[in-house]
Amino acid sequence: MFGKLTWQAIPLHEPIPLISGIAVYLAVIGLVVWVVIKGYGPYLWREWITSVDHKRIGVMYCILAAVMLLRGFSDAIMMRAQQALAFHGGGYLPPSHFDQVFSAHGTIMIFFVAMPFVIGLMNFAVPLQLGVRDVAFPTLNSVSFWLTAVGALLVNLSLVVGEFSRTGWLPFPPLSELRYSPGVGVDYYCWAIQISGIGTLITGINFVTTILKLRAPGMSYMRMPVFCWTALASCLVIVAVFPILTATLAMLLLDRYLDFHFFTDTAGGNSMMFMNLIWAWGHPEVYILVLPAFGVYSEVVATFSGKPLFGYRSMVIATMAICIISMTVWLHHFFTMGAGPDVNAVFGIASMIIAVPTGVKVFNWMFTMYGGRVRFTSPMLWSLGFIVSFVIGGLTGVLLAVPAADFQLHNSEFLVAHFHNTIIPGVVFGLFAGYTYWFPKAFGFVLDERLGKWAFWLWVVGFWVAWAPGYVAGLEGMTRRLQHYDNPAWHPWMLLSALGVLIILAGIVAQIAQLVVSIRTRAARRDLTGDPWDGRSLEWATSSPPPVFNYATLPNVTARESYWDAKQQPRETTQPITSEPDYEPIEIPRNTPVGFVTAFLATVTGFALIWHIWWMVVLGLLGALITFVVFAWRDRTEFVISADEAARVDRANRAVRAESLLALAR
Amino acid sequence: MSAESHGNYAEYDYAAGSYVGGDRPRGAQPNIEAPPLRRELGGYLLGFALAILLTIASFWVAHTHSIYGPALAVGLLVLAVAQMGIHLIFFLHITTDPDNTNNVLALAFGVLIVCLVVFGSIWVMTHLNQNMTPASMEQLMRMQG
Amino acid sequence: MSTEVLRAPMSPSQLVPRAAAAGAPPQVTGHGAGGPASKRIIVGYGFWVFLLSDVIMFSSFFAAYSVLFKNTAGGPTARELYDLHNTALETAFLLTSTFTCALASIAVGQRSQKWTQIALACTAVLGVGFLTLEVREFARFVALGAGPSRSAFLSSFFTLVGCHGIHVTVGLLWLTTMMAQFYVKGFRTDIRHRFLCFTLFWHALDIIWVAIFSLVYLVGTLPPGFLP
Repeated sequence: MFGKLTWQAIPLHEPIPLISGIAVYLAVIGLVVWVVIKGYGPYLWREWITSVDHKRIGVMYCILAAVMLLRGFSDAIMMRAQQALAFHGGGYLPPSHFDQVFSAHGTIMIFFVAMPFVIGLMNFAVPLQLGVRDVAFPTLNSVSFWLTAVGALLVNLSLVVGEFSRTGWLPFPPLSELRYSPGVGVDYYCWAIQISGIGTLITGINFVTTILKLRAPGMSYMRMPVFCWTALASCLVIVAVFPILTATLAMLLLDRYLDFHFFTDTAGGNSMMFMNLIWAWGHPEVYILVLPAFGVYSEVVATFSGKPLFGYRSMVIATMAICIISMTVWLHHFFTMGAGPDVNAVFGIASMIIAVPTGVKVFNWMFTMYGGRVRFTSPMLWSLGFIVSFVIGGLTGVLLAVPAADFQLHNSEFLVAHFHNTIIPGVVFGLFAGYTYWFPKAFGFVLDERLGKWAFWLWVVGFWVAWAPGYVAGLEGMTRRLQHYDNPAWHPWMLLSALGVLIILAGIVAQIAQLVVSIRTRAARRDLTGDPWDGRSLEWATSSPPPVFNYATLPNVTARESYWDAKQQPRETTQPITSEPDYEPIEIPRNTPVGFVTAFLATVTGFALIWHIWWMVVLGLLGALITFVVFAWRDRTEFVISADEAARVDRANRAVRAESLLALAR
Repeated sequence: MSAESHGNYAEYDYAAGSYVGGDRPRGAQPNIEAPPLRRELGGYLLGFALAILLTIASFWVAHTHSIYGPALAVGLLVLAVAQMGIHLIFFLHITTDPDNTNNVLALAFGVLIVCLVVFGSIWVMTHLNQNMTPASMEQLMRMQG
Repeated sequence: MSTEVLRAPMSPSQLVPRAAAAGAPPQVTGHGAGGPASKRIIVGYGFWVFLLSDVIMFSSFFAAYSVLFKNTAGGPTARELYDLHNTALETAFLLTSTFTCALASIAVGQRSQKWTQIALACTAVLGVGFLTLEVREFARFVALGAGPSRSAFLSSFFTLVGCHGIHVTVGLLWLTTMMAQFYVKGFRTDIRHRFLCFTLFWHALDIIWVAIFSLVYLVGTLPPGFLP
């Protein structure tokens, strides 16, 4: 009746998942009760859950990422504790659990922290920077978000119902085949990623279309902010490679469910093909993550140096070059699998070439700062921490690109240190910089700077204390993912690493404190002008937060930094920044529950597929079909904001802005 | 600038200050209306006919010995690509019109990725397979064959 | 446009679109700087990008098929199994359905309900015919002991060709929904946009089939010496 699902699936005999499961369950119930009691339900449904507004969806993506960061980081603490303790002993985590922990850690951090955070920032900022009202397909945007949330939900569900995958963040066969992983873990992983992968692909299509076809009048390609260029490059890579992930995981699922033989070790299967295809996706994936982070740095460094970004054209060329080259280097993840010197050499050289456009970008950021008046706000600190740390991580990457060196260091702690060294200072610092930078625009008040700086220093120091030992241990021969070890040379490094993770924990506590304190004192830190940082791009011309329609009239863009140029007019005149436009009625797409309903059905179908509850699968798919048809039958898709209403909102914002600008000028 | 000079662009209603039949966002470009019936039908008929010809050619080539043997696979690939081109031009309306540049660029990007994935995989996997130690007599014999 | 760029300094009022100069319609540059594109272009382009992503997914299956083609695990080979007469018939059905779909788009352009429904019905019938032939082929293979579990080669064949078949099935569901929508709601703009997406989808499926019949069926039945 319920397929493979029985009461044994609940981990009553395993304290860690049991206790954490109960704690999360109580927290969720508590949250729901609080929402119901306070009467926030209808508001949340109307304004957030069914919203198709890119600003709201962007915020929801970031909230999802932040919550999952806590889960992924708990896994990190568990792993570091285990490796610190498990010298000449078993530590506290049995191997089967340790395997699930490191698999969950990687899966959650890449798919449910980094991706949603990056997509959230793109969602929030890109339409505002392009001077338009929303993305090309707002309803699909909502569907994308909810499908990503389903993936996160399924992964977390595996903690309390069943088990998670033990095969690492990429499920290599033959270990991930049914014969060697008969449990539901790999299925949880595969279906969670397949479902959220559809959401990500839709996002990629949405943003490529938006950036290429939906920009304010006058905004030619070379007048777009660099963040939009990096968003475009990242989304082009998403569109190019996520189908490969979908196909490859589908092949693995076919092997597991229908006894196909793509990657099995019998009947002619070739498990090396999985490696080939999955890394053809996997390497471009990290560029999907890092390119928007580079875009954030471009915005932040230019703004806080008080200068236009140096070398705009070369930045654009470097971005698009990285976009293309990133899809030609994937074999460097399996130099040791035996393709031979010719193949290894070609991919090794390509992997080194890709460092060149990245270097161009780093020099451009440095030249932007040179001769500028640098303000060391926390977004700028995150960017500086990035430049110093990421360059080192990138250099270790170039070192690993040499096949002969990689033969020594493949799958060692050196490798683990390298990719954390590129992802944390590269992607995560960029996300934190973007979060701090755009927070006032999203919520109307600035985050506490002091706590922000504390968070930065704790993160950057903690990061180096945690990961520098990894390089040493790797060079001393330590392999990755060890549940226990006997080599005394590695032990002190593992202890140091655990200390580092505790320092990072303090950094995360500082970030949580920053948010709580800022919300508490938000009245005192209101951003009235909409432009708290003296910004350069169009989003700072709106109020904080912007009205639902972003711009009462689409701005007429005549230069690369239209808003900055407009501000350079003498500020002591009594004229507001822009003269009043001719207001016209504005059409806004209607909110719709289709994203949420799709997510619900996807959860049901995914869960049913994992546990082999076939009748539930059929019901779920039927529900999806009915939902599509019902949704397609809609007649009213938009509502109109009258010209008077738009005028009223806009005039109020202008008045506030004019007043505070005058106050500044006095 | 009058609407007529844009050829087959939608009509602009000066009184209303917008394009007729507006289904466009504020400040958006006009719709491109359908070309005349005869020209459109002729285009589709020609595309259909060419596609049929190329299909027959593919089947015929695979069966007769008109093409040098080892080149057959490549010949079939070329015919397939030609037929895909016919579909793209006649049915999907991919042209070299400046308004179509984004579509052509997207197509080129897609073709690049397809080539990287397919030919890259074949190249990599052939080398990997070559370097595998033979697991069975069958493979040993095939190696010697 | 160019003279405005040369005029300096930038005045704040230039962030605001000036009142329509003598009521002229907005300039159409065709290069993206003319403001947001029309809904039809946006929808068409977005769907085109989706189609390209779908083609890339098929290419992954093609790559797997190419790599695993020789891994027959002692079981039936392509040359033994493929029936080219069936393939030719399937090709005829699908190619003709692409043509009838194009006729349907002419009918929609002419706003003719009768011809739209007729052309779409023909497309549907031909599509169902294609699927019937394909399902019968799969059933024949399974009956011969050449199901997808027999070998890696057969797994990859069934997946590649089966994936195309699933896309055709989804396309038929979409097609019937479109027929119903045109019938009930007429030629409303948003329904015509969806139909544009459908025609792109249907033509793309035929493009994929060209690759399949050429590189899977025709190449697969070449004598062993001529295989790449």
